[in-house]
Amino acid sequence: MAVSLRDNDELLLTAYCDGELDAAAAGEFERRLAADALLKARYTRLMSLRQAVRALPQVDMPSDLQARIQARLNAEQTNVETERSNVERPGKVSNVTVLRRRSWSFQALAASAVFGAVISGSVLKTIDRFGQEDTVASEVVAGHIRGLLAPQPFDIASSDRHTVKPWFTSRLPESPQVPDLAAQGFTLLGGRVDVINNRPVATIVYKHAAHTVSLTTLRPGQTVPEQTIAGYNVRSWSDGNFTYVAVGDLPSADLAVFEREFTAAAPAGEIKQ
Amino acid sequence: MQNKDDRNDFDEIFLPYMSEAYRLAHWLSGNASDAEDIVQEAAIRAFRGIKGFGAVNARAWSLTIVRNTALSWLTKNRPRKVSYINDLNPAEQQEIEYEGLHGAKVETPEDVVLFKADATAIQKALEQLPTQFREVIVLREINQMNYRDIAEITNVPIGTVMSRLSRGRQLLIELLGDRK
Repeated sequence: MAVSLRDNDELLLTAYCDGELDAAAAGEFERRLAADALLKARYTRLMSLRQAVRALPQVDMPSDLQARIQARLNAEQTNVETERSNVERPGKVSNVTVLRRRSWSFQALAASAVFGAVISGSVLKTIDRFGQEDTVASEVVAGHIRGLLAPQPFDIASSDRHTVKPWFTSRLPESPQVPDLAAQGFTLLGGRVDVINNRPVATIVYKHAAHTVSLTTLRPGQTVPEQTIAGYNVRSWSDGNFTYVAVGDLPSADLAVFEREFTAAAPAGEIKQ
Repeated sequence: MQNKDDRNDFDEIFLPYMSEAYRLAHWLSGNASDAEDIVQEAAIRAFRGIKGFGAVNARAWSLTIVRNTALSWLTKNRPRKVSYINDLNPAEQQEIEYEGLHGAKVETPEDVVLFKADATAIQKALEQLPTQFREVIVLREINQMNYRDIAEITNVPIGTVMSRLSRGRQLLIELLGDRK
């Protein structure tokens, strides 16, 4: 069926132009592109269209819009607080008030849900705390081992920290600073996303001589004791933004050096995007 | 109920994407004052729903709200600007999304001409596209998002994102070709 083959080509061409084919499919498609003049011409046309659309002049947000929105939200916040203290201001029924009334039942529902979460949360936390630190350490080490077994220990390969950082930022709610420590003996290899405690977190991968070091960044305030799991040394420290867990098969003294260099290069407080 | 924490969350989650949100709203609505209204409403929705943020991708979450707000706002206030392929019957829809893109036309390499980028013409052609096609092209080219994020924002499978992009671009090519 010539027609359906054509449709499929069109989709392949689209995905190829957008960089969404995997390496194998892209390679195969490139061989076909080289052999097929019509396909090649359509590829060039599609790319020129994409460039033309991207080059369209872009509008900028009016400079005062953000301030107006902030003011609007302030009003909403104040309104809620006012209502809480039971002070009604007559003659000031804004549309915010009207909208708020409509969402009452939702608010009640949300409030009860929060209550439930607080109660069960505190009970669970106590129960959890016993096993959690160990679990975190072994999950981090598991991520490291999986990384070593995969064709490469990272999802994004780059020694350029300006590539790795935005890659994290586009995938994760919180992303760490990614310093390049090549001068200190730790070369940036790239980054990957690990899942620790059911949360996606950023892991930065460094190379030190023949050793690979994974630095996993967790929510701040966790304690992971220094230990050895499956032959890998684990060292952890925290700053105001993250709890860091470094894993590698290098001596623990070298991990201590790594901690010192990383902390010096990525001081807490500058980490927010 | 919204409190200070919600406000802080809002500032961290939605605020960084405000100018991108405005740009998306502007492309979907086609003018500045509608875009402002849409972004304002989206910001309030985001603030009220901030607890629903799933802690995965703040950008996609924020732009999803903007996109949904834009579509409902436009449907309500500018119904003529919103055209859905859902308005077609299933067979026609099938045809638009999956059918042969060149139909009976047989092209030779020489038929395939390059674009002379003419911003006004391209902008007009984009505005003429049915909403579903326009939004994926804007999200892809202007917001530069990948298929996965576009699929999340427009709430369709990745395969549909791909076919809509393909068809949308083909429509653009046809619209621009007609002008010459």
